[in-house]
Amino acid sequence: MLRLVSRRARAQWPLLAALIGVVTVGATLLGTCTLLSTRTAERALEVAMARAAPAAVDVTVYTGTVEGRDARSVAVDTRDVVTDALAPFPVTTTTRASTVLRALPPALAPGTTVGAQAYLSGLDDLATRAELVAGRWPHDRGDAVVLESTAQLIGLAPGRRVRLGTELAHPPVPAIDVTVVGVVRPLPGRGWDRDPLAAAGSAMGYRDGRFQQPVNAYGPFLVDLADLVTTGATVNRMEVTAHPDLSQANRRDLETAAEAVRTADRRLAGTLGDRVRLARVSSELPLTLRAADDQRHVTAAVVLAIAVLGGVLAATALVLAGRLTADMRADETALRSALGTSRRQLAATATLDAGLVAVVAAALAIPASSALHAGLTRLPSLDGAGLAVRPAITGAQVLAVAGGALLLAAVLTILAIRTRPAAGDRHTRHELLARSGVDLMLAVFAAIAWWQLYAQPTAASPRADVVRVLAPALLLTTGVALALRVVLPALRGADRLAYRARGLALPLAVSEAARRPQAVAAGLLVGLACAAGTFGLAFDATWHQSQRDQAALSVGTDLALTLDTAPVAGEGAVVGAATAGAVSPVLDRGTAVGQWLGTAGDAPRLVAVDTTRADALLRGRLDRDRTWTDVAARLAPPTRVIGLPVPAGAPLVLSGTATGDTSLTVTPRLLLQDATGLRIPCAGSPVPLDGREHRLPECATGDGLRLVAVSLPVAAGPDVGSVGGGRTALAVTLTVPPTGSAEGSEWTATSVPPVPSRVSDPTVVLSAAPTGTALRMAATVDLGGGEDAARALVATAFPDPGPVPVAVSSRFANEVGAEAGSQLSVTVGATPVPIVVTEVVPTVPSAPGAVAVLADLDTLSRARVLTGDLTFPVDAWWVGHPAGPGAAERATALHLGTVTTREAETARLTSGPLHAGLPAAIRLIVPAAALLLLTGVVLHVTYDLQVRAVEVARLRGLGMSRRGIRAVLFGQHAGVLLPLLAAGAAVGALATRVVAPLLVRSDTGAAPVPAVQPHWPWPAEVALLAGLVAGCMVAVAVVVIVQVRRADAAHLRVAP
Amino acid sequence: MSSAPLLRVRGVHRRFRTGPTVVHALRGVSFDVAAGSMVALVGRSGSGKTTLLNTIGGLDRPDAGSVHVDGTDVTALDEDGLSRLRREKVSYVFQSFGLIPVLSAAENVAAPLRLARVAPAERERRVELLLELVGLADHARQRPAELSGGQQQRVAIARALAASPRLLIADEPTGQLDAETGLSVMALLRGVVESEGVTALVSTHDPVMMALADRVIHIQDGQLAEEAAGQPDEPVPDAR
Repeated sequence: MLRLVSRRARAQWPLLAALIGVVTVGATLLGTCTLLSTRTAERALEVAMARAAPAAVDVTVYTGTVEGRDARSVAVDTRDVVTDALAPFPVTTTTRASTVLRALPPALAPGTTVGAQAYLSGLDDLATRAELVAGRWPHDRGDAVVLESTAQLIGLAPGRRVRLGTELAHPPVPAIDVTVVGVVRPLPGRGWDRDPLAAAGSAMGYRDGRFQQPVNAYGPFLVDLADLVTTGATVNRMEVTAHPDLSQANRRDLETAAEAVRTADRRLAGTLGDRVRLARVSSELPLTLRAADDQRHVTAAVVLAIAVLGGVLAATALVLAGRLTADMRADETALRSALGTSRRQLAATATLDAGLVAVVAAALAIPASSALHAGLTRLPSLDGAGLAVRPAITGAQVLAVAGGALLLAAVLTILAIRTRPAAGDRHTRHELLARSGVDLMLAVFAAIAWWQLYAQPTAASPRADVVRVLAPALLLTTGVALALRVVLPALRGADRLAYRARGLALPLAVSEAARRPQAVAAGLLVGLACAAGTFGLAFDATWHQSQRDQAALSVGTDLALTLDTAPVAGEGAVVGAATAGAVSPVLDRGTAVGQWLGTAGDAPRLVAVDTTRADALLRGRLDRDRTWTDVAARLAPPTRVIGLPVPAGAPLVLSGTATGDTSLTVTPRLLLQDATGLRIPCAGSPVPLDGREHRLPECATGDGLRLVAVSLPVAAGPDVGSVGGGRTALAVTLTVPPTGSAEGSEWTATSVPPVPSRVSDPTVVLSAAPTGTALRMAATVDLGGGEDAARALVATAFPDPGPVPVAVSSRFANEVGAEAGSQLSVTVGATPVPIVVTEVVPTVPSAPGAVAVLADLDTLSRARVLTGDLTFPVDAWWVGHPAGPGAAERATALHLGTVTTREAETARLTSGPLHAGLPAAIRLIVPAAALLLLTGVVLHVTYDLQVRAVEVARLRGLGMSRRGIRAVLFGQHAGVLLPLLAAGAAVGALATRVVAPLLVRSDTGAAPVPAVQPHWPWPAEVALLAGLVAGCMVAVAVVVIVQVRRADAAHLRVAP
Repeated sequence: MSSAPLLRVRGVHRRFRTGPTVVHALRGVSFDVAAGSMVALVGRSGSGKTTLLNTIGGLDRPDAGSVHVDGTDVTALDEDGLSRLRREKVSYVFQSFGLIPVLSAAENVAAPLRLARVAPAERERRVELLLELVGLADHARQRPAELSGGQQQRVAIARALAASPRLLIADEPTGQLDAETGLSVMALLRGVVESEGVTALVSTHDPVMMALADRVIHIQDGQLAEEAAGQPDEPVPDAR
């Protein structure tokens, strides 16, 4: 038997090579996909974790109230616990500790009856967090440096010794003497937000939680951490942050560390015991690892789906090759049967034959898949993601390749031993029924698969389920199988038409195409490969577009700078200069809708931005051909606020009078606006309405500011104690020095809720005065109703905007039951603001899928001002059209907060280590499909022409020229291939429309927001189809030319 | 029998090379065939019959010698000329019938007419006539696989006659048929030679066919051996 197989292999080596080639291609594809979903996926997880931001992997232990005697041991033990938890990774720890407030010598803070307190802080990396302004860093016991603001406020300078006395609300402990050796300036973005006073240097009326009375707090006095923990001072809070070095991480160690971090609280409590009042371990590491793992699974699911599709393609190609082989060996098989070879012996030969093919193919496919995988990882997208690897062989890969090769070889065996119909037999009723049954079954399975995809939950579901893995192959196969049912009748129709022609070439070609016993496997392979190729390209484009859409919507703009601290006047201009883009301050935070706070952990979001520049600022795909400009046009205020120009450093003067006997004061609050629309409130001290001029604090700290609102809460003078009752008329004038600008707004006066009638007849007049521009405000105040009753006159450079027009997300509309025209209220800070829904949008920029509201920041501010709330909360700067690739780096260098860009987010989603494997796999299927298609075409055409060599010679005998015969054969194959390619492309397009959007999932495995739209990349598709058509035609032409040349009189000796 | 030969074969040599081996298939064959006659070419397998027929029909080219069909020097024709010759003057009937499997009997018969770009109406009429002639008018729509061997050969004969050839070459037309069917096919061939006025050159082993022929030419080892009936119109020159 082995001899027969060996001799047959030698005699039929081209055929054998084709079989081995097809099995090798299929097995290589399986092996490569296996490597992508195992080795690359593991590597991606490791790279992603190694590249994760420190905040995502750091472990911070917070401990509170540590007695001085325990401070050192607690610090050491905490470091040990956290280091153990992160083993085996190398860990870098940083520690920060602050003491409880201690009495500051009264001489340092004179003129106040409130106690002055100060605290010590120790940081073991102080030099990286602050800039030395004067003196030196502390290095001796008792050395301290102070913040610049603290030094200025209480007059500290290097060399000054300070005694910090008793601890606030704590048993007496010895005083601590420190020597100020330097003055430092805190660097932005270096964690000073965790300082008890957020690096402000001082806080008047500060309450630290352990002492009910407010104190004036100063500090910190920054000392060496080792010094701090040995002073004996009670530590109010201590933070130990451990940063693991994950550059050499592997998944098992990561999981071990994450689990250890999850349970570190218990170990920490056991270790620290009652030396601390509280101890808590905080880390994003477990969540980061889980998120990365989820992303890995999402990617792996698609890679597996690609592998299955490739496997189906290879199996189809093999069915074709196997059928051709069986046909070519039919005579030999018949002879062996006639000579007495049993069916079992035939099967044994076929199995041996197929087994050898499988062994050779597997032997080739294992190194081939390793090399292909390594080559893929060298592609820029994967290489850039840090996923480049050297060729290597893994157990999973060997199993997949060997299993795939054996499965494919089994197909060969089955085809070799199946009972073949005799030549000329028509399809039996049984066969036709069976094929129809298979088609029907495929259609039913495909429908079920599509429905399951369609009905899959929108929530996160990262694990690869069978439906998502099998659906693409099943749906494409079904589509092509059904399309074949259409192609054949179409060819028969063409056959009838072609016979009207007078010549022979056309009708003969069409007849050959339409009437030949159809090779279903060939048609299925051509159609499926074309469908897979076009679908692969379109799915790739759809996936990329979805990632871009998700990135755009999640960032909401081109560049978002989320602020660590409240912005200051002129900051927008700085951001604008750094990024060279359109800049807007943005409010982006949770809110309450009426009394509704949203579901747990999912508060409604309020996003307010300068909607007059929506085109430049807002990003994220909208539906129904709407643009953000269209939406924003209904949100933007009708006119800009011009306000009253205030020169930088200008002395603002307030004077006022009140009728009646009661001495009244007003506490002026001004709202100024800079060129970027940022509004900065400025509050003054109470000003008595005594007819004299009172200078207000310097509110205009920069150029280009304009006064846009003034609020004047009215209260009794300090000498009165209470306002009493009755009504009094007051007149207040705010004088602003001239700027030379003649611009100005119409000013409006109003009184604030909740009882506006307490301030009646409010008026405001803008007039010129000898010293500048005078804003004259007047009203009648009802002094009844108690001391705390709100009485405030508000003058604004804009009219009452009424309810703020907003666009709400569709989820907001669903959950709140809102629609266009609905009037609601949202709470900003503590101020409820009336809103009116003007439009429902799928989702709001920067709040994908959330219950969210989009408003104009100016209008929102106007509405709040009219309630007396002049604060202007801003959480971020949004920048549209930033110039140049370095804009993000320049914005980051401002150290104002965290910079996120649409491009960076897109890059993370498309070419980050956890995502890059997916487009690589998608792109793998396209050339693989093209290769298998061309292989199948060459096999089929070669076989067809070989068995028809006699026929070709006879056509010559009929007087048909070689050219005519070539035309017939070429036309025949083109007539079959072109409809099949067209059908495949149509199935690919249909699958792109109905299936691709269902296969794309977000990072977490949830349905992406915004919803995926199918994307058909015409240029690439046309190029692919042109390439396939050209490849097929070239293959056919070459085979036809060779075969026609070979077909000579010698063939006429051969009986058919 | 007309005195002017329709076919004139002179000193035809044909060698085939199979690896190092050279086979002399034809060694200076010369003979004439008069128009309207039916000549049987007889010889053992491998004697050179098919090579000779292919050379006459322009399917193969001789290494030496000439072939004239109806005054046309076949050996001087290029590829297009040979195709034209086969479309207009020479028709084949193959041992294995040579029908195009995907075409019906009528379509097979119409094939030469399509090659000659005969008008559809005339084509339909001629196909009908020819199928009637060979007794297969009722089988016009059947494909070759649905016909018996004898019926297929009748269709092949009808197709060969479709373009009104001057010379009909039949290469063992009854080789794959049983005796009874073969006899009917031979009778048909004899009939069409007479009714259509066509000249036929038929290779055969069948004595019945030899009996039906006007003349029998024997070929052996690539050379003419003897003639069983009639005489050549002029002496056969020696092989070159």
